Amino acid sequence: MEGLISLAIGLLMGAGLWLCLRARSFDVVLGLTLVSYAVNLMIFAMGRLRVGQPPIIDPARPADLQHYVDPLPQALVLTAIVISFAMSALLLVLALKTRSEHGSDHVDGEEPAP
Amino acid sequence: MSHWIAAPLVLPLCVGALQLLLERHGPRVQRGVGLLAVAALLAINLHLLQLADGAGSLSYLVGNWPAEFGIALTLDRLSAALLCLCALLALICLLYASAGGDRGGAHFHALFQFQLLGLNGAFLTGDLFNLFVWFEVLLIASYGLLLHGAPRATLKAGMHYVVLNLVGSALFLVALALLFGVLGTLNMAHMATRIAELPASDVRLVHTAGWMLIVVFALKAAILPLSLWLPATYSQAPAAIAALFAIMTKVGVYAILRTQSLLFGSGSEGLQGFAGTLLASAGAIAVVVAGLGALAASTLKRLCAYLVLGSAASLVMLFALNQVQATAAALLYLLHSTLAAALLFLLADLCARARGSAGDSLRLTAAMAWPQRLGVLCFLAMMLLAALPPWSGFLAKLAMLQALLAVPGQGGLAAALLLGGALNLLALMRAFSHLCWNRPEGEVRQTVEIRRREWGAVYALLALLVLLSVAVAPTARFGETTARAIHAATDSIPILLAPPEKARPEIAK
Amino acid sequence: MTVLLPLILLAPLAMALLLGLMPQASRRVASGLAGVGMLLGLAAVLALAEPVFAGEVLRWQWDWWPQAGLQLSLRMDGLAWTFALLVTAIGALIVLYAHYYLDASEPLARFFAYLMLFTLAMLGIVLSGNLLLLLVFWELTSITSFLLVGFWRGESAARQGARMALTVTGLGGLCLLAGVLIVGHIVGSFELDVVLASREILQAHAAFPIALILVLLGAFTKSAQFPFHFWLPQAMAAPTPVSAFLHSATMVKAGVFLLARLYPALGGNDWWFFIVSTAGALTLCIGAYVALFQHDLKGLLAYSTISHLGLITLLLGLDTALGVVAAVFHILNHAAFKASLFMAAGIIDHETGTRDMRRINGLWRAMPYTGALAIVASLAMAGVPLLNGFLSKEMFFAEALQIEGHRWMGLLVPVAAVLAGVFSVAYSLRFVHDVFFNGPCRGLPQQPHEPPRFMRVPVEFLVVLCVVVGVAPALVVGPLLHLAATASYGGSLPEYSLAIWHGFNLPLAMSAVALVGGVTLYFGLQRWVNLHRLDPRPIAVNAYRSVLAALLWLARAFSAHLDRGRLQPMLFLWLLSVLLLASSPYWTQADRWPSTPALAAPGLAWVLFVILLVATLALLRDYQDRLRALIWVGVIGLLVSLCFVLLSAPDLALTQLLVEIASVLLLLLALKYLPEHSPRERARWRAGRDALLATLAGVGTAALCYAVLTRDSRSVADFFLAQAVPGAGGSNAVNVIIVDFRALDTLGEITVFAIAALVIHALLMGYRAAAEAQAEQAADRHPLLLQVVAGWLLPVTALFAVYLLFRGHNQPGGGFIGGLLLGLAFLLLYLAHGSTWMQTRFRPDLARLLGWGLLLAGLTGAAAWIWDFPFLTSYYQYWKLPVIEAFPASSATLFDVGVFIVVSAGSLLALVAIGRVQNASTVRPDPSTAQRGERS
Repeated sequence: MEGLISLAIGLLMGAGLWLCLRARSFDVVLGLTLVSYAVNLMIFAMGRLRVGQPPIIDPARPADLQHYVDPLPQALVLTAIVISFAMSALLLVLALKTRSEHGSDHVDGEEPAP
Repeated sequence: MSHWIAAPLVLPLCVGALQLLLERHGPRVQRGVGLLAVAALLAINLHLLQLADGAGSLSYLVGNWPAEFGIALTLDRLSAALLCLCALLALICLLYASAGGDRGGAHFHALFQFQLLGLNGAFLTGDLFNLFVWFEVLLIASYGLLLHGAPRATLKAGMHYVVLNLVGSALFLVALALLFGVLGTLNMAHMATRIAELPASDVRLVHTAGWMLIVVFALKAAILPLSLWLPATYSQAPAAIAALFAIMTKVGVYAILRTQSLLFGSGSEGLQGFAGTLLASAGAIAVVVAGLGALAASTLKRLCAYLVLGSAASLVMLFALNQVQATAAALLYLLHSTLAAALLFLLADLCARARGSAGDSLRLTAAMAWPQRLGVLCFLAMMLLAALPPWSGFLAKLAMLQALLAVPGQGGLAAALLLGGALNLLALMRAFSHLCWNRPEGEVRQTVEIRRREWGAVYALLALLVLLSVAVAPTARFGETTARAIHAATDSIPILLAPPEKARPEIAK
Repeated sequence: MTVLLPLILLAPLAMALLLGLMPQASRRVASGLAGVGMLLGLAAVLALAEPVFAGEVLRWQWDWWPQAGLQLSLRMDGLAWTFALLVTAIGALIVLYAHYYLDASEPLARFFAYLMLFTLAMLGIVLSGNLLLLLVFWELTSITSFLLVGFWRGESAARQGARMALTVTGLGGLCLLAGVLIVGHIVGSFELDVVLASREILQAHAAFPIALILVLLGAFTKSAQFPFHFWLPQAMAAPTPVSAFLHSATMVKAGVFLLARLYPALGGNDWWFFIVSTAGALTLCIGAYVALFQHDLKGLLAYSTISHLGLITLLLGLDTALGVVAAVFHILNHAAFKASLFMAAGIIDHETGTRDMRRINGLWRAMPYTGALAIVASLAMAGVPLLNGFLSKEMFFAEALQIEGHRWMGLLVPVAAVLAGVFSVAYSLRFVHDVFFNGPCRGLPQQPHEPPRFMRVPVEFLVVLCVVVGVAPALVVGPLLHLAATASYGGSLPEYSLAIWHGFNLPLAMSAVALVGGVTLYFGLQRWVNLHRLDPRPIAVNAYRSVLAALLWLARAFSAHLDRGRLQPMLFLWLLSVLLLASSPYWTQADRWPSTPALAAPGLAWVLFVILLVATLALLRDYQDRLRALIWVGVIGLLVSLCFVLLSAPDLALTQLLVEIASVLLLLLALKYLPEHSPRERARWRAGRDALLATLAGVGTAALCYAVLTRDSRSVADFFLAQAVPGAGGSNAVNVIIVDFRALDTLGEITVFAIAALVIHALLMGYRAAAEAQAEQAADRHPLLLQVVAGWLLPVTALFAVYLLFRGHNQPGGGFIGGLLLGLAFLLLYLAHGSTWMQTRFRPDLARLLGWGLLLAGLTGAAAWIWDFPFLTSYYQYWKLPVIEAFPASSATLFDVGVFIVVSAGSLLALVAIGRVQNASTVRPDPSTAQRGERS
């Protein structure tokens, strides 16, 4: 499982970065979305992987890391998700504005000279 | 513990929210509230400075949870001093903006307060993830202020700024994840203790994460080759905002200093202050490159942006030496360069308006309005920024050079500093003579109107710098105590990890 | 008595400030104030004569910055006193002269203010008893001379001259700074007394040569020694009083003063001897040679000044006691005759309207009196007997012959001396002959006649001085010279006589040769090659210009190459540095391959992974078809949230899902106004290069991840699990962390969210809903079914959202999830009815709502202060309610309500704003806001 999740993270990170390096704002937004997926998965995985042990305290079970997955990374990821969502929304609007002002959706605001 | 320590966060947050509620009451009310709030913030921060100077370093446990589990704020001389500088600068910039610059777009005053919130948070927090959050706050607020009114030109710069910083934030999170995965904690002091007794098998992982942090902070501090975004961004920003941004690069420098001194202050082999040599040489190169950029600049704002670049670079260079004297000198220079850069940004705006169509482009044109007053101001600004005596710039440079000479084998860095200084002198001299020495036959434009507050803001900055030049001795002494504390950062860990003073409130079942 | 020391400095400073405050002051007032300033200084200096001549060294100190060794410490000994006298006395004469020279239309107050500031700086150099303080004043002279030379800012010659002067002297100043710092570092103090006393330590130190060279660079640039001499003639663009003061008597003397001042500490070794004397000799000859071929009066005088400064430097370089005496003597003499010559030149310029010797001839008729003065002065310059110039020159010749030990120098210096003597006689002669005789004067811009009476007084005074000194040296300057020279040499001097006649000896012969040779040379040139035809090119200046141009070009090219304002290279460079640095710890040695994974992967995981792989590759394949790319991204997001479900993170799964939907919908909206296809990139190589980088980054991330995951966790999370219920009254540990343990993060997070909404709103403010767009809106009909569904869905979703909010503390859910759900419900409504409909119905000021939400969250946290608990301390109480029994009412819940409000209001605000774009996508932004933007 650890191997799989690491590979998935690596895959998303690589693909995301490649898209970030493209010339069009829309592609960059997509790339950043992928990167944030990768990052969120990574933070989440740092609490180590558990199956079927959600951090909802159940009086029956003792409350410790043997019986529940680490809740802290999950909380961090929640924060990170929200922030990256806000940021990419902003970036998207910026892209729209740039397009309508400069008439190009190139990240440099103008079509590259041929 | 003093609840005032949390005030630099609560006040801007609530006032920012309040500003949103006040928007329909028009700019006058908002300006009044904003200025009052920042003044109050300044007062509080000065109190905190006093507090820190007495106690050395203090910890404030938000939520009354133990530091390792909750989020702890850390107040020491360094953070308190930066808080004061920040509030001071903010007050002046807001004064300047309230002459009309705040009308360019919506929500200016709220964004301004949130910007302060982010800055204060970054200075105060003792928790690495929390630092990330505050970075995001100050970044997104700065996007807002940068794009304030969004003239077409700023859009492109803004886009670059946003994208680069978003990728930077992603890297920050990766580093955080690694550190948490290995160390299992987020409180910096706690991390430091765990790094100190790190098993050899984990050292490389932490080292890698440490490098990632350095690169992230270097992007914020705009150290070569991560600085390319800055000149365009700063030269496009509205004057008051650019002036406020003078402290933004310092946040990155601050973060580097904190992590290097606390996190990796007593690291096991190879980890302790690992970035020193690289940062020092990178800083030295950046100083010279920034000097060249300043010489090549075609507008005053761009020139100023390059000066900001240079100052941040020299700061990193000196901090990287990891010597008390060097750090003390750098702190003095930090104070000076922030204020001086802000002064020049504001002056650039005034000149641009006084020269009409020519703007702040550095070419010979007809005489500008207010020739005497602006001439004298520009001349003083030139002296200040070119590190010419007897002003604080020269004194700070003096201290830095002495510190570099005191460290054996750092002649190269001193030479770089001198070379950068020479280039800046050339650039500023050319700029001055192009701006203020014009052909007499040019018609003088007296129609332009400059509000009294705008003059006031500029005079205030000037007065502060003159004060700094006269009272350099006590300032430097404070800087030295601060520097000593920084280099003994790991000693303060017990204080930072102290348990809550009060038990949690009783729960009646 | 010593209190007079600071007064000497304060007098000019006070006057400068006064003049600065009254820019419109009349000529009389302005020059009057300046004169008073000078005379006050002079009086103070004279008042100190008695103790100084008694051999006392006066000191006065005020702490500026003790730690750095920068002290306001003034120190007056014989040398300082002599120079202070020189500066103030000549200064007073200059003021008188300038009073007549400058036209009333000029900004006189500013001129005299600058002059006062310069005087202050010059006196500061002379009096400072601390090397760093000396440096401060040193730079101040450079800056003030920049202002004075550039006084006629209208003329490009003035601007360029000023810039050149400041460039050369300023850079020299930086060298001096470095040198002084090294010296101070070696000696351990910057106090002059200490430095002068610790000669041995200094010269024994390894870094001494570097320090010496740096200090000498400072001195040479200041006193225009070859090859830094070129700025001085350019500085002649200054008003003549300035040239007479700065460029003959004072500022250029600062360099030689520094040499004389530091001689006891730095002198007396081969480094000093060779560098200083060589520079001096070269300057001496070159200056004298070039002077002869100048056509500009002031140009000739400038080069002659350079040559004489070379002479003084050479004398100091000779490293003998009498050399020092001669040097000091010549400093005084040169000041006297050169100042008077400059003033005479100024008068001529003033009267004839030109300074070109090719046009001025036979002025003797027009102005015999001035002519007489000028002739006497220039004879002194030529070193004719019975004038002061002769005496110091004799001493110089004598010293030149005394060189021992250094064979070559012993031969070369005398030759150079005679050569320079010949040329100096020649150019002095040219000055006299070419201006006052050489045929009648004709074709001048204006008819010359004698200047106003008092404009001549300074000249007369100085010329008389030249004669008196020349006739009775021992009587007039004997004591003064002895005083100054002793102080400069730093020890008792050997016997020397100031007689005019030393009998027939070699120096006399050399003088004779110089005289005869000079006269023959000049008339020979006049006869065979017409001097007026020759036009020498200023080689040094051109060299300087081209160097500067090269530097500028380099800077421009470099930074143009560096910041091209292109995002892709920046990002690539940045990622590259990340990759390099982050991998650096593993270069030397890699970790062992980690142990086997702890958790076996269930089959479902494999399936999910394969789908992910396919989706990602597909996305990379056709990312240019944006709609499809978007769908693939949606799929990936879905997979991520499924992964969260699988790995026991319900909250994450919910949030991820909602965020996913929201962002995909946003992207869909955006796609309406963006091209449907990304054009194929021109640079194919870039795609490959990026792919390489991205792959490396991905592999690296994966490896790091795996490395960590195969280690044991040391997380502190046990505390949260243990404390969730008893400490914070919530059984959903994640939510408890968010709203309680780490509520500060959440506070920051919602602030970010709110700011994003505000910025989006502000950004899109510029757009106006255009009528035709509205019409087109109304025209395109929205699916009725969707409208109905949405209409029903809204209240239901809203209710569910609130439910999620309140149960969040114990079950998956919470403020953010609830708020986002509400936002999505509105988004659906929006899709169903279109933006116009939305805008008409949703008038509430969402920004205000945001404010309320933030305020609620913030104040809930601050409320803890009332009970003297830290910010954000939570408190909860079990409430008995009819429906649900014993549910914990926590302050954290209130906090979460704040989150809920912010998130729902924020998403709605952003949505409506983006809705506006649709209406306005066809129209330009409101010009008024745009131009307001430019102004702010």
